Amino acid sequence: MTSAWLAWRTARRYRARTVLATIGVAVIGALLFDMLLLSHGLVDSFADLLNRTGYDIRVVNSQGLTLSRIPIQHASEVTAAIERLPEVASAARLRLERAQTATGGADVDVGLIGTTHTGARVAWTVLEGGDLPSGSADAGACPVLVTRNLAQKLSLTPGSTLPLRPSAGRESALPAVRCRVVGIADSMFSSATDNEVLTTMAGLQAIKGGADDDAAEIVLVASRGQGGAAAAVKAISAIRPDIRAYSNEDVVAQFNRNGFAYFRQISIVLSSITVVFTFLLVATILTVSTNQRLGEIAALRALGIGRRRIATMLLWESVLVVGSGGLIALPLGGLVAMELDRILRSMPGIPERLHFFLFEVDAVILHGILLAVTAIVAAAYPIWLTARLPIASTLRREVIG
Amino acid sequence: MTDGRPIVEARGVSRVFPMPAGPVTALRDVSLRIAAADYVAITGPSGCGKSTLLHLVGCVDAPTSGTIVFEDRDVRSLTEAERSRIRLTRIGFVFQRFFLLPMLTARENVELPQAEAGVEPAARRARTAELLEYVGLANRADHLPSQLSGGEMQRAAIARALANRPPLVVADEPTGELDEETGRHVANLFDRVHADGTAILLVTHNPVLALRASRRLAMKNGTVVS
Repeated sequence: MTSAWLAWRTARRYRARTVLATIGVAVIGALLFDMLLLSHGLVDSFADLLNRTGYDIRVVNSQGLTLSRIPIQHASEVTAAIERLPEVASAARLRLERAQTATGGADVDVGLIGTTHTGARVAWTVLEGGDLPSGSADAGACPVLVTRNLAQKLSLTPGSTLPLRPSAGRESALPAVRCRVVGIADSMFSSATDNEVLTTMAGLQAIKGGADDDAAEIVLVASRGQGGAAAAVKAISAIRPDIRAYSNEDVVAQFNRNGFAYFRQISIVLSSITVVFTFLLVATILTVSTNQRLGEIAALRALGIGRRRIATMLLWESVLVVGSGGLIALPLGGLVAMELDRILRSMPGIPERLHFFLFEVDAVILHGILLAVTAIVAAAYPIWLTARLPIASTLRREVIG
Repeated sequence: MTDGRPIVEARGVSRVFPMPAGPVTALRDVSLRIAAADYVAITGPSGCGKSTLLHLVGCVDAPTSGTIVFEDRDVRSLTEAERSRIRLTRIGFVFQRFFLLPMLTARENVELPQAEAGVEPAARRARTAELLEYVGLANRADHLPSQLSGGEMQRAAIARALANRPPLVVADEPTGELDEETGRHVANLFDRVHADGTAILLVTHNPVLALRASRRLAMKNGTVVS
């Protein structure tokens, strides 16, 4: 006849109350779980996205704003200097431009990316056809990989011709260059609705009419050696004062401070509200239930049943409701998170592989800890109520009542 | 009154309740001695202080003045835990409204005080079976209070009061919620409990029940008048 057993019998006896309270905790707990998944999910998913590219350092021009930096000038020279560093395994330039298709119908604006990356491609997953040729052997043919959305929109298949011309600057007046679609691919950093074209740096140069400004928005670097990214960042930063190197951790930390701070703050506010709601729900139910049983509790005290047993019984009642509600909250919150994730990821400009809600064991543990603390705090007032219950006057009131 | 050492003794006790409209004196300068195998009935009109005296003797309340001595110990000098232990093992309580735990069966209600007192499961099962047989509820042992009649609930409550073999049973209007016939059965049970050597202090409006006691005290306005 433990306190837990008595609490279980009480829960069974007042079945409707228990079920309603459990459902209430489950719903609020699901929301709490979702907020916990959201608080770290986006950052962790973003970090995972960066790390999966195979490059752990990003080099940009130190001038300009964080999100609109001036391209690095003499980028090939900078890249070569970076590649010579003992802390660096490889480096690749990325040039980002806007272009327009010239297919005869309605032109489509596309994001054009030129890269010097060779070897296995990680950020782009080829779905149909082949990859870009390595080296400059096929440079004149302007080979391109196109995103699925663009391929569907323009009915492109591997081998199709895609006329492209720059959409801004003097080059926009040039005739379109007929590029050859070598493959259809998904980009890790693109949304499902993005129209993007990846080509070699020579291909990009061809689209721009042969002009080579030797610039790059980003130089991607893979570090090596025991010092890892930190040592490579230090070495790269010493090459030229007008470039700045960021490890993936730096980028994540920066986004965590700036871009993701809103999500974190929303998540903290909503998590706090859900914890308070859970507390209020359980505390109210327990307090009402205790008030309904004051005569019974006074009688138990008169019979010599100790305060401790009554207190632990109430605590167990709270733990039972919050515990079972919390357990139901996990799959329920998981389902809601999946649906919310789907909705958020369908927003324009959101990379398809970026997740807002990421299942993490830490979130489950934190969810459990928060609910356990809530259960204890919620039981505190009813316990205090019974501990200081005047036995004689309560019994008298019950009889008169 | 039976000779012998008193189980509990109230010496000049008064109880004043502070109220918003001013203090109310429920009990003034009352003395009472209950020895082993005493059977005392307290009668009187509502609000005369009967239940207040019973609560003081039963160690659930403390007097404003005067002394309650339970088995040679001044109750005022005891901690709440010690008073609780006395109530658990030395006093059996029977209430007008039974106060059986609604989620426990009759058997489990009788077992509960024994479990609290640390009685081993086998011993308490045997004692519970014996007590339910004693009060005539052996065949209703596994019924919830909601499945029992008023008389059966009060008999289960008496079995619970006797669970830890207390030398004193205090009962507050034990037949107050029962019809005449059922009240008589419960009164018979109290007679039997008393005959088996347990002292009884009961508060009642029921003159038939009071007449069964070996000693009757009449109270009025917080004092014992006869």
